[in-house]
Amino acid sequence: MDTMIAVEHLTKRYKKAATPAVDDVSFEVAAGELFAFLGPNGAGKTTTISILTTTLAKTSGTITIAGHDLDRDPTAVRREIGIIFQKPSIDSHLSGEENIRLHVALYGVYGYRPLYRLMPAEYRRRIEHLAEVVGLGDDLFRPLKTFSGGMSRKLEIVRSLMHRPAVLFLDEPTSGLDPISRRGLWDYLREVRNEDGTTVFLTTHYLDEAEGADRVCVIDHGKVAVDATPEELKNRLLERTLVLDAADRGALRSELVALGLAPQDDPGGELRVDYRTPTAQDVISRIQTPLTVLRIREPSLEEAYIQLLRDPEEAVA
Amino acid sequence: MTTRPSTYEPAQRRLGAVGGTRRASMGRDLNAVFAIAWREILRAVKSPLSIAFTVIFPILFIGILGGSISQNLSGALPYAYLPFMLIGMVANSMYQGTITGVTNLVEERDNDFTAELFVAPISRYAVLLGKLIGSGVAAMFSLIGIVAMIIVMQIPMNAGDLLRVIALTPVLALAGGALGVFLIGLTQEPRTVAVAVPLLIFPQMFLSGALIPVSASSGILGALSKIIPMTYSIDLARNIYYWGKPEYAAAVLHPPMLDLAITVGFFLVFTIVGTILFVRADRNR
Repeated sequence: MDTMIAVEHLTKRYKKAATPAVDDVSFEVAAGELFAFLGPNGAGKTTTISILTTTLAKTSGTITIAGHDLDRDPTAVRREIGIIFQKPSIDSHLSGEENIRLHVALYGVYGYRPLYRLMPAEYRRRIEHLAEVVGLGDDLFRPLKTFSGGMSRKLEIVRSLMHRPAVLFLDEPTSGLDPISRRGLWDYLREVRNEDGTTVFLTTHYLDEAEGADRVCVIDHGKVAVDATPEELKNRLLERTLVLDAADRGALRSELVALGLAPQDDPGGELRVDYRTPTAQDVISRIQTPLTVLRIREPSLEEAYIQLLRDPEEAVA
Repeated sequence: MTTRPSTYEPAQRRLGAVGGTRRASMGRDLNAVFAIAWREILRAVKSPLSIAFTVIFPILFIGILGGSISQNLSGALPYAYLPFMLIGMVANSMYQGTITGVTNLVEERDNDFTAELFVAPISRYAVLLGKLIGSGVAAMFSLIGIVAMIIVMQIPMNAGDLLRVIALTPVLALAGGALGVFLIGLTQEPRTVAVAVPLLIFPQMFLSGALIPVSASSGILGALSKIIPMTYSIDLARNIYYWGKPEYAAAVLHPPMLDLAITVGFFLVFTIVGTILFVRADRNR
């Protein structure tokens, strides 16, 4: 699969800073991938995204986006990317549609006209369709000052996709949104990815949003701590757990010990065993004691992430 | 979620005519300049309070300060004071409006709106030029107040003379805006800019001859009046207004071509150096 983003040995040291904010970071993002770039506050996520989107100069390293070298042809890179910034970057003095009209003019998609009705019919059709898709409808023509946080975010997403970018950078796109707005945004982004195969570069603190990523890269203290699929990350860092119980709990406990497992009392009053075999079936098929409770507890990405940040050496190992 | 097959097309192919040729790139930049300038005008129109202040400011200066000076001190001048001062206020209002408008970019940067502008595939010059032109047009609202004062104070000016000066306002606005670009090239700290803008406007207003004639200024004040851009912009406007009139020699300081050359020179230097400094400071944090 084609590489859409290639970052090699990227370093950024801010003026007067004792340590680099981003320190020798390398990774690749394949075309069409949903790439989650995670890390705690201050880890270097926004610095990296600012460099990739050409708004911040790097100290060293090489970056290629959609085949364009970021140093040699930043304008070509900008043509290929769409961005939803961490902080809203829309003009509250204008209406939603006026913000979008400005955007399409900046990207050269359509010639600018001072009035909406003077814009090409294709633009008007597209914007009305998108407004319906994201549920903005006629609100698009209202002053932005009357928009809620969720509506503003939807507007930013519509805007960022108007020039059909090859790569969409989402810097904490759902921070401050209510759960319904969050779900709506992700449903829409899923549609966009299905239709256009847009590569998505996501930073977020909501780990459930990164569960669906094709790949997860965790950065900590400016360095890449891990770069893997969510499944690999969970398997590498966490033991999956079986919750079991039997009418004769003592017999079950003895049998589990005999199988080389280490049963522990679960807070729910049942027994818990961690396993690292490829599937839970490998363990269950060896148990003879009749079970009254059997649950498989899959670790979440969030648990793996927290484990990683607590014990980064284990992840590297 | 699995990786989708990418139907990605390079922008050059996807966006057709707006692809990579130099002509297309220039066309895209011009389109962006127009869009950014129109945004400034829209913002001004949508802010009635800001328009009110833009209109009231010249009314206060011409009506109160100009009227008072005219009644008490203008007897010794070889020309009518109020038209002289009014021309100065036209230039000063253009400077003030565009400097304020352009330096607003720093506030927008703080509010993150400029992120949208600076990730767009257009040149930084297009961003600042659009801002400059839009602020200049928005500054023209001050002409409403100036024309109102001509009528109210019955200042002896004919429409043709005034129209010639108004025709020059785009040049005056660009010259003033260039100073704003230079300022935000030097500092992007909003509080510093807020303090620096009045320092950039008011000393020039008093040293350039906008309100008070400076033809006899000497020493430090004379030297300062010769190195500030507004002196030449105002003198250019007065050259146009007084051209062919008996009081021409007394009312103007320099030949018009010298004023024009210096105004254009200041505009080019301040705009280019200011833009380079602004972009460099923004990216090289």
